[in-house]
Amino acid sequence: MSQPSLAPFVLKRQWLTRWMKPLANWYANASGYRKLGLRADDLIPEENDTVLLALKRLPPKEAYDRVFRMRRAFQLSLSHQLLPKEEHTKPEEDVPYLTPLIQEIEAELKEREDLEAMVIEKPTVQKKHGPKLYH
Amino acid sequence: MLSRSVLRRGALRCQFAQPVQKRYLAEAASGSFQYQTGDASGVKIASRDLAGPTTTLALVAKAGTRYQLLPGLTEGLEKFAFRGTERRSALRIVRESELLGAELESYHSRENLVIGAKFLRDDLPYFVELLAEVASSTKYLPHVYTEEVLPLIQLAHKKFLASPKAIALSSAHSLAFHRGLGTPVSPASSTPYTKYLAADTIEYFSQFAYAKPNFAIVANGAEHADLSKWVNEFFGGVSAKAPEDLLQSVRDKQSKYYGGEERIAHGSGNSLVLAFPGSSSFTGGFYKPEIQVLASLLGGKSNIKWSSGFSLLSKAAASPGTSVETKSAIYSDAGLLYINVNGTAENVSATAIEAVKTLHSIAGGKIAAEDIKKAKAAAKFQELETGQDISAGLELTGSGLIHGSKAYQLDETAKAIDGVTDAQVKAAAKTLLESKASVSAVGDLFLLPYAEDLGLKV
Repeated sequence: MSQPSLAPFVLKRQWLTRWMKPLANWYANASGYRKLGLRADDLIPEENDTVLLALKRLPPKEAYDRVFRMRRAFQLSLSHQLLPKEEHTKPEEDVPYLTPLIQEIEAELKEREDLEAMVIEKPTVQKKHGPKLYH
Repeated sequence: MLSRSVLRRGALRCQFAQPVQKRYLAEAASGSFQYQTGDASGVKIASRDLAGPTTTLALVAKAGTRYQLLPGLTEGLEKFAFRGTERRSALRIVRESELLGAELESYHSRENLVIGAKFLRDDLPYFVELLAEVASSTKYLPHVYTEEVLPLIQLAHKKFLASPKAIALSSAHSLAFHRGLGTPVSPASSTPYTKYLAADTIEYFSQFAYAKPNFAIVANGAEHADLSKWVNEFFGGVSAKAPEDLLQSVRDKQSKYYGGEERIAHGSGNSLVLAFPGSSSFTGGFYKPEIQVLASLLGGKSNIKWSSGFSLLSKAAASPGTSVETKSAIYSDAGLLYINVNGTAENVSATAIEAVKTLHSIAGGKIAAEDIKKAKAAAKFQELETGQDISAGLELTGSGLIHGSKAYQLDETAKAIDGVTDAQVKAAAKTLLESKASVSAVGDLFLLPYAEDLGLKV
């Protein structure tokens, strides 16, 4: 499932973006996942069909890198350590690689649901009015 | 959100775009048996306005297994038809077609890839648009390939492996023509999908298959003017020419006949194919009507219920459980006349020996003139019948248009069959026996005969 996000709302308004950007950067750094070498999309819970399918659709290289990041982070967490500073995830590397796939799958599911709930109406062909009959 | 009113409009817009035209079975249409051919924005079209409330429309592309660049590409492209396009998802295409009460189909042969639909007459514009969309804007996504296309290809592979007859025919073709026409129609091994196939290779091949000079639109039960108008409108976005490097790498050489023998062990069933060089399609350059007459003279398959029929080979069949058929497989520039025997190994061998004896007796002139007369009538009937059978006519016509801008006209082939003389048939049988045969045996190799045992040259 894609996470609910205020980002589109904020990004639409330039003044708000200017305000929020430093705050967002601070928050992302403070949440700590970058210090373990993870990306934000690595944190999406994967215990549901949609995300599992999205994970299957990842290109092989992306899938490999994801597993590598997770194992590294797990190891760090076990040994109570953080990555050296130069190996932290850089903000420009922290891109959504999974979210677009999840959104695509959600759109597919939604389309299916909409089509299931479709109401069919037969087109009514407009009849030409014949000459009116007066009695 | 996908608004429902938009969907309705999409599906039914076409009905409002034009005055509703109606034609009922009893009314006479222009009613020609002949195809009318033409050109609409660079696309070759053929149509015949058979009376009736339904239309069969097909896009016939010169992209059969003969022309594929890598093994399995045709199969992949066929399975990608009607998947998702830039404008519509696969699900939506299926639902919309369901609502219009239509049937979608796609299949391929050695030479052609056919993508078609059957629908009510009034929906012509919708389906012309759909075919144009499939040709120009199908999305070849990797996950669609792995999730939907690949399992179908694997099924086709399994189906092929389970059928001794299909294996024998495929083997006979590859003996006869080596590459090109000899390429198996269904995946004969797993190499296509383990080694060559991927969404992007299929997409690359689609640029060849769906370039304007390489396909034709054929319709049965549509007015020529209508078809031409809608093709003009919707096929503008299709690429006018395949990329140069692609054109060069696709092999399009004159087929050459080689011949030989192959024996394949198989656990379920026995199949023996005796194949000889045959006749090309009427639209190709090597049309020999006498081969068709010879095929129906040998025959084997009965048209009548509860009887094995009167053709020479049906009399030769060793037991009621043994099936024999003779077919003249025609391609654009070559053909294969083959006798296929199926049944238990003992009966197959006995029947094959009889079949070769029969060929010898035809070649030696020991055949009644009546039999040849009967065979001519049967061949003519079969020819006209296949032509009337809409789906067979569609592919033949499309293929004729692509290869030589000539539609497959039944009246002319029927006339050619009428003109065949007894001497021609005998001479044809003689040439067959003198040329190299392609013999393939599939099944119990301990019992199935070698070509030499049968007295055939390989």
